[in-house]
Amino acid sequence: MRNFTNGGKSIINHIPLMELSHRTISKSPPYSALSLEGLPEETAIALFRQMLRLRRTEEALLAEYHPAEEMRCPIHFCIGQEAIPAALSQLVLPDDYVFSHHRSHGYYFAKGAPLRELFAEIYGKETGANGGRAGSQDISHSQSHFYSGAILAGAVSIAVGAAFGFRYRKTRQIAVSGFGEGATDEGAFWEAMNYTGKQKLPILFVIENNRYATFSDQLKRQDSDNISERVRTFGVRTSKIFGNDVALAYRTLKEEVARLRVGDGPSLVEAYTYRWNSHVGPEDDGANNYRTAEEMGFWKANCPIILMQEKLTRAGLLNPSRRAAMESEIAAEIAANFKFAKKSPFPKATDWRKMNFEDASPEADRLLGTSASGVFDQNQAEAKLGPY
Amino acid sequence: MGRQISYAKAILEATDQAMALSSDVFVLGQLADTKSGIFGTTTGLVDKYGPDRVMDFPVSENLMTATAMGAALTGLRPVIAHQRLDFMLYSLDAIANWLALWRFKSNGQSAMPVTIRTIVGKGWGQGPQHSKSLHAWFAHLPGLRVAIPATAYDAKGLLLESIFSESPAIFVEGRGLYSMTDDVPEEPYRVRFGQAVVRRLGKDVTLVAIGNMVPIALKAAATLEKEGIDAEVVDPRTLTPLDRKTICDSAFKTGRLVVADPAWHSFGAAGEIITTVVENLGDKLKSKPVRVTLPDSHTPMSMALEPEFYADETDVIAAVRQTLA
Repeated sequence: MRNFTNGGKSIINHIPLMELSHRTISKSPPYSALSLEGLPEETAIALFRQMLRLRRTEEALLAEYHPAEEMRCPIHFCIGQEAIPAALSQLVLPDDYVFSHHRSHGYYFAKGAPLRELFAEIYGKETGANGGRAGSQDISHSQSHFYSGAILAGAVSIAVGAAFGFRYRKTRQIAVSGFGEGATDEGAFWEAMNYTGKQKLPILFVIENNRYATFSDQLKRQDSDNISERVRTFGVRTSKIFGNDVALAYRTLKEEVARLRVGDGPSLVEAYTYRWNSHVGPEDDGANNYRTAEEMGFWKANCPIILMQEKLTRAGLLNPSRRAAMESEIAAEIAANFKFAKKSPFPKATDWRKMNFEDASPEADRLLGTSASGVFDQNQAEAKLGPY
Repeated sequence: MGRQISYAKAILEATDQAMALSSDVFVLGQLADTKSGIFGTTTGLVDKYGPDRVMDFPVSENLMTATAMGAALTGLRPVIAHQRLDFMLYSLDAIANWLALWRFKSNGQSAMPVTIRTIVGKGWGQGPQHSKSLHAWFAHLPGLRVAIPATAYDAKGLLLESIFSESPAIFVEGRGLYSMTDDVPEEPYRVRFGQAVVRRLGKDVTLVAIGNMVPIALKAAATLEKEGIDAEVVDPRTLTPLDRKTICDSAFKTGRLVVADPAWHSFGAAGEIITTVVENLGDKLKSKPVRVTLPDSHTPMSMALEPEFYADETDVIAAVRQTLA
């Protein structure tokens, strides 16, 4: 485990790295360690803009969800968790594969997949990324090599296969698997740690540890809240960071991505962050009393966008007029996406079988002919198995 | 008669030829790179193609399946093998929540051409955790093709077809069939999914037999012939897609139907096949269809109980007589 420091200070307000966890973070003073060190100006601005664009998109979808009643699918909003996807957006290349959990919109953004196809997908339209078959929690955009799914560690496991494929083909591509700490309850996750740690595959695991699997605290489910320490024993390099510091997330992930591209993998980064909204949908799930006002207060006060905005402003990289221009560009984009989604046609039920099976087999057609069979002789005994 | 090789050798030969035809093909399986080579079906491949293309895998069945799936997304054509179907059940999340619906939920934009070989044990005390025949489970899931070859010829052709087609395939192998030989052409060839074969022409009764019930049904038909009963034996070869037309055409011709399925009685492939025939020509049947299946019970270990549990030639003959009574 490596300690990322900022000018000699611990990464978050004097909490020793080994003790960094949700329990310690939310009781600490406001975060003040964000540094632009190592970030070119355009990268710093791009990180901010990606976070703002993601935030505004989620806010717009939240606001429109019930009044219109046209987004009839579960949406797991990611407000508060913008830093990791924004950092990834500046690091993954078009040929890299990104696999996401059900809280998928940030990763969809990170891969640069088209937003209007996201909106149309959520509206169940034919013009959606998946023609309205998948919705928010299962969306994919295969041209962008972006995939997601709702059954947690399943997507982590498939990402391992993509990394296997890259090594098999000896490319410099990497697989990125983003998920929450809830996925680490599942055995499939630990199978992935065991195999990638042994095989040294080019894969980056990013845990957005937001403490809760729906309403269940990690410490109700696990003996320790430090996943990265356990993962390290599997032969996977690990780091843990305060996940609302987008500059720190960028520097950390940049180094890991660079190492993965030269075969020095795998790597897991545990980023402590927080979702502001309910587990799913726009309704408030506070009646379940699973988190405190103090905890929510800490995380809202340490909003990843505000932290970065303050630093950029002090550094003279952002001013009110530049920010206002960004806001209006983003608002225009969102409005255009809603318009596109709403006016797009619904899909039509055509051939259910063709939606599930591929009939064409060009590779088999190219490689295989037919050959006559003989007559099977049934007068043969079954194999006698023996003990093995 | 052409070249005779065993069912196990036919699987090995198909895999070998697929790997020679395309460097995209690789094999994952517990002990796949050992001399014993999954009952001889992968023996020697590691020497020929190297350890990067024939790999052992941890006892992590779910991850093995998912690894194949992710690799397929990068353009590869994985073949994975399970020593027993029972172990494969750890991978049901990968299969039922992801693989089967991948094409559907991507709206046809993304494919996972994964071949999953799985072996069903039978005999020598395999017992309840080494012998489950769950082909109907997989056939129930949209998006998966399910092959259940009975002969070496079909094993080779269907395995090659599975590997080089685009939809994922579950390839169910009867361990009891491994030693049985058949006329198998040396060149690589395909057997299409959804094409049943009539293994024996007859006019009195249609006997649809699945997997390792095929040799048993053919033996029963030969015995019945001596009594003047002429049974037509149809082997569907694949359950998804199922060649309903060939089955219905035969049942229309004979007017009587027996389905022999090496699986549990209830909610299985036999029920599906009988329903298909009844839906299409129920009022043209001369007698009630009959199922020959396993009891709705787990497999006993004891050598005294195994013969009671598994359906044999006598059971098939009795079922045929029932349709003619």
